Amino acid sequence: MSLFSRFLDGWRKYRKPGYYEKFDYHWTMTVDLDKCTGCEACMMACQAENNIPVVGEDEVARGRELQWIRVERYWEGEYPNARLRFMPMMCQHCDAAPCETVCPVSATYHNQDGLNTQIYNRCIGTRSCAVYCPYEVRYFNYYDHGWDSPLEQQLNPDVTVRGKGVMEKCTFCIQRIRQAKDLAKDDDRRRVQDGEMQPACVQTCPTKALVFGDRNDPESQVSLSMDDPRSYRVLDELNTDSSVFYLKKVDA
Amino acid sequence: MPNIDRREFLKLVGAGGVSVGAGFMLRESTKHPREYLIPHVVAPEDISSGLSTWYNSVCSMCPAGCGISVRTREGRAKKIEGNLSHPVSQGRLCALGQAGLQALYNPDRLTAPMRRNGEGTFEEITWEQGLKQVGDRLDLLRAAGRGNRVALLTTGVRGHLAQLFESFMRQLGSPRLLHYDYDHPHTLYAANQQFFGEDRLPYYDLQNTRLLLSFGADYLSNWISPVHHSLGFGESRQGPADVRGRFVQIEPRMSISGAAADEWIPARPGTEGILALGLAHHIIAEGNYSGADRDAWMAALADYTADAVAEQTGVPATTITRLADSFVDTAPSLAIGGGSAGNHSNGVDTLVAVNALNYLVGNIGQEGGLVFNPEPAGPALQQHQASYSTMLELAEAAHHGEIDVLIINGTNPVFTLPPTAEFESALAQIPLVVSLSSFLDETTALADVILPSHTYLESWGDDFPEPGVGFSVGAVSQPVVSPLYNTRGTGDIILDLARRMGSSSVMPWQSMEEFLKYGWQRIYQRGDSQTLAQGFDAFWTSVLKAGAWGETKSGNTAFSLNPDVIAGIGVAPPEFSGSEDDYPFILHPYLSPNFHDGRGANLPWMQELPDPMTSIMYGSWVEMNPLTAQQMELSEGDLVDIQSPHGQLRVPVFIYPAIMPNVIAIPIGQGHGEYGRYAKDRGVNPIQILSPQLEPVTGSLASSATRVNVSATGKRVKLVKTGGTSRDLGRNIIQTTGGSGVEVSSVSSNSIPITEVTS
Amino acid sequence: MNVSIVPALKVLRPAAMLVIVVLVGLVLGYWANATFVPGDSPEQPIAFSHKIHAGDNEIPCLYCHTQARRSPSAGVPAVSKCVGCHLEVATEKPQIRLLMGYWENREPIPWIKVHDVPDFVHFTHKRHVLANIECQTCHGPVETMDRIRVTSRAVDGSAQAGQPWKMGLCLSCHRENEVENGTDCWTCHK
Repeated sequence: MSLFSRFLDGWRKYRKPGYYEKFDYHWTMTVDLDKCTGCEACMMACQAENNIPVVGEDEVARGRELQWIRVERYWEGEYPNARLRFMPMMCQHCDAAPCETVCPVSATYHNQDGLNTQIYNRCIGTRSCAVYCPYEVRYFNYYDHGWDSPLEQQLNPDVTVRGKGVMEKCTFCIQRIRQAKDLAKDDDRRRVQDGEMQPACVQTCPTKALVFGDRNDPESQVSLSMDDPRSYRVLDELNTDSSVFYLKKVDA
Repeated sequence: MPNIDRREFLKLVGAGGVSVGAGFMLRESTKHPREYLIPHVVAPEDISSGLSTWYNSVCSMCPAGCGISVRTREGRAKKIEGNLSHPVSQGRLCALGQAGLQALYNPDRLTAPMRRNGEGTFEEITWEQGLKQVGDRLDLLRAAGRGNRVALLTTGVRGHLAQLFESFMRQLGSPRLLHYDYDHPHTLYAANQQFFGEDRLPYYDLQNTRLLLSFGADYLSNWISPVHHSLGFGESRQGPADVRGRFVQIEPRMSISGAAADEWIPARPGTEGILALGLAHHIIAEGNYSGADRDAWMAALADYTADAVAEQTGVPATTITRLADSFVDTAPSLAIGGGSAGNHSNGVDTLVAVNALNYLVGNIGQEGGLVFNPEPAGPALQQHQASYSTMLELAEAAHHGEIDVLIINGTNPVFTLPPTAEFESALAQIPLVVSLSSFLDETTALADVILPSHTYLESWGDDFPEPGVGFSVGAVSQPVVSPLYNTRGTGDIILDLARRMGSSSVMPWQSMEEFLKYGWQRIYQRGDSQTLAQGFDAFWTSVLKAGAWGETKSGNTAFSLNPDVIAGIGVAPPEFSGSEDDYPFILHPYLSPNFHDGRGANLPWMQELPDPMTSIMYGSWVEMNPLTAQQMELSEGDLVDIQSPHGQLRVPVFIYPAIMPNVIAIPIGQGHGEYGRYAKDRGVNPIQILSPQLEPVTGSLASSATRVNVSATGKRVKLVKTGGTSRDLGRNIIQTTGGSGVEVSSVSSNSIPITEVTS
Repeated sequence: MNVSIVPALKVLRPAAMLVIVVLVGLVLGYWANATFVPGDSPEQPIAFSHKIHAGDNEIPCLYCHTQARRSPSAGVPAVSKCVGCHLEVATEKPQIRLLMGYWENREPIPWIKVHDVPDFVHFTHKRHVLANIECQTCHGPVETMDRIRVTSRAVDGSAQAGQPWKMGLCLSCHRENEVENGTDCWTCHK
């Protein structure tokens, strides 16, 4: 490799952290805003799957809630023409993620599956990533939140319980991805098939507003959904190259 | 080392000793803490360490009867998901259903039988003591022929547990078997009985409908079967069909379904039925109905011209005619009614009027309309559902000393009945109140004996969803974990009591599981020859495995309207308690999406789940129109006193852009005085100030018919909520489009933010 | 001006001695603990010998740790599994009597965990067993141990008794064998 091409490569990686020629899988989610009813089943599914603690009334009042996925609500118009629109918001798994460049200890990085990942035991809690995230989807553990016994018996053994001083966020249920890959390997090292694995929120969504899959597979449900003319990305002008596509709400 | 005196020497020896110890402990502290590997004594068949086992069961967090799959690891329940093969939930589940895990692992569960002692506090007893005390009393009463002095009050259970309760009470010779749920849609049942002659609810085919008019039914959050409705909503909206389904919601305060709808129409509370008849009138007047009974309809609806209806409902005449026209033009269409629209003094008439709309455009028995359900394959009794009046009668009987024993299962009337019912003092008059609850709720706290039940994740049961999904469905609820505490299944307790009062010849089953298998024999017999050839055990195992049983047998398709119904059509103006001058606002109490009728309030997950519409957690609030609040100089967080003719509450204001100016809304669910650490002393319970206004046909409580007065207190609190700025402010975050893929506009940015968080 | 440090040293000497004694003491205590109470081979409730079972009698590991080929966890055999053989085998030995005591009381044997990874580590036996990695690669020469001892592996592949596993062990092996995504953090962290 010539000096120049090495420089170019380095520059690309600098410009686009987590730079890969092509992702192995390219996990992507679409959210159909026309189907979303704001019921928050996704939030509950996430809380149960990912060992997200309950922080308590006082902490919520200080804006320290932990919600890997949240439902945002925006009012529009005035009575009697007022309307309320909901939008599920979770880590967008940006392929050019601002949070990744800023972490001083590389606790957050992009992996070969196009996921923006967070290594909890590496995190030292500078909270810089949360500042850089334009979607405000990173949540910080200000305390060691306990579980009143025996509530801890529910905890998912596949997910770490994060301690004080650690940043956490949506992982696209990476433990489920890992399990799907594991099962796929059992079957003669085939690839994970479309629909074989879904994050907890997608799995439970009562209106099927959320779709998840591999963008590298042009036939996958999520690829088809992404190509919908209603598809857009939130804050796309920031060039975050996010992996969550929203389908516009239809005003009819 | 010269000249160390004795003193110095001892110092050094001491310091040396301490530091050796410190070094020792330093090393000790770096060691891995001791952990144990505890093996099974005998390896169970269904537990493999490190691997998940899934069990199919039935959700009991609300009456919808969704099928669930529970993931367990090493014998502990980890996650509840919808059961893919169950036709009601189809692999999906709502937030409350998923939070059922915290009912199982709740730290405030009752762990053993208890009895009230001389000092009025509870003391732990053994099961034998508790069952003997209750069983002996029952046996005595039955032997003396006074079994009718026993009452059994349960939440609306279905399936073989309901049948068990029935035979139990038959053995006692008591007619006082009451199913009581605050939100049971009495008026809907009565209206359907009147119009269709069916005592079951029909299946509302949201999935295939292209236009849905919902009169007050919050079908996406609390009405009947929210998960199934949501599935239908999603399919209709952006499903495989080319035409996008359109949803219209008519209600005084925007609910979740109202927010999801394409059009939200506020009609004066209680006039929803009048509006429906206005639509009906227009449909007939425009010649869009050509049935033989057209003239009868015309005569019955003569008064409901668009202008007259507009006057009464506050909905513009043009809207009425437009809705009516599109209801005719769009096929298939569907009108549903319920929720607050059914909880007025004219509730049954209102819902009959909604049925009439479906009749006039031919939606009955049609795909995408309203489909009749077949007779359920197992017991799905609804006739024991107790209305408010029935509960009043029970309370009165207790006050007259006519009740000796009251057994309460899973329902919490002290919380869900207004104090005017005097249920609390009625309980005090009953010599023996037995609660089978898993939690110390308000009613259980007043019991004399507590025989705590398993939660639904530990017990056997079954369910036949009502309403069904157009064909026969049943599901068995099986224990997914072994019982955590010294509790027993409700069915097992009842069977034990039956044995103790000498009814074992009629109720010979040793356990609920045995009784279930006995009952499911009948369903097995309905199977085809192939099923029958495999034998019952194979059938039973397959039902447990799949978590659901069904057969493609549909209900009535033919329907002819009784002509008398037409003549009786008409909706009187709603009656409210309290005069408009003293009480200028109409109170709109609605079931909280998080807590249902209050049963979810003891789950910390649900407490910390933001209310979908307001993002408020942990407390109660009163919703107010921005203009009204402005006139009263109130802003978010201002504490106000809400006064009805029957009580008063103090609660903070939340400015709600989509509520009628003369209506205020308070969610039901908070305001518990008991019910564990997470629920206790949090928020207010609006049921406490409801006036005892009745719907005369069913005797149910017209819970939306209370007038109130609002007065400022000058005090403020900060509402605990997560929502930031409530407006998009031109950031273009939520984008919209005019039609299928054609960009027309993005969200307008000219709105002024009404509520902003001050931080 | 002529300044001498001798008077200062005289004053400091007792303090210096104290420091030295404390330091030596700390090291001594630390060493004593590490040497005499290593804790890397705790005494188990029953003196089960892997040497007898896996070594002398050549019982395959997976005969008892049946889960290893299909589950992340290798699994500790149920008491019934032990009893399955020992109803017939070596019934009079005192340790077997202990075992039968547990069995008759229907009590599980509280084995003390020796090999452990932190809670944030995802390790699955299944993948490694299916990839034909010898158990001894990580667990050391178990078949020679009367009592299991924490054992790791040096870079040259030799067993390092008393050393706990470190992340480097996983990584070096993953690199050597060119494991798919073997160095991605989320392959092993959770």
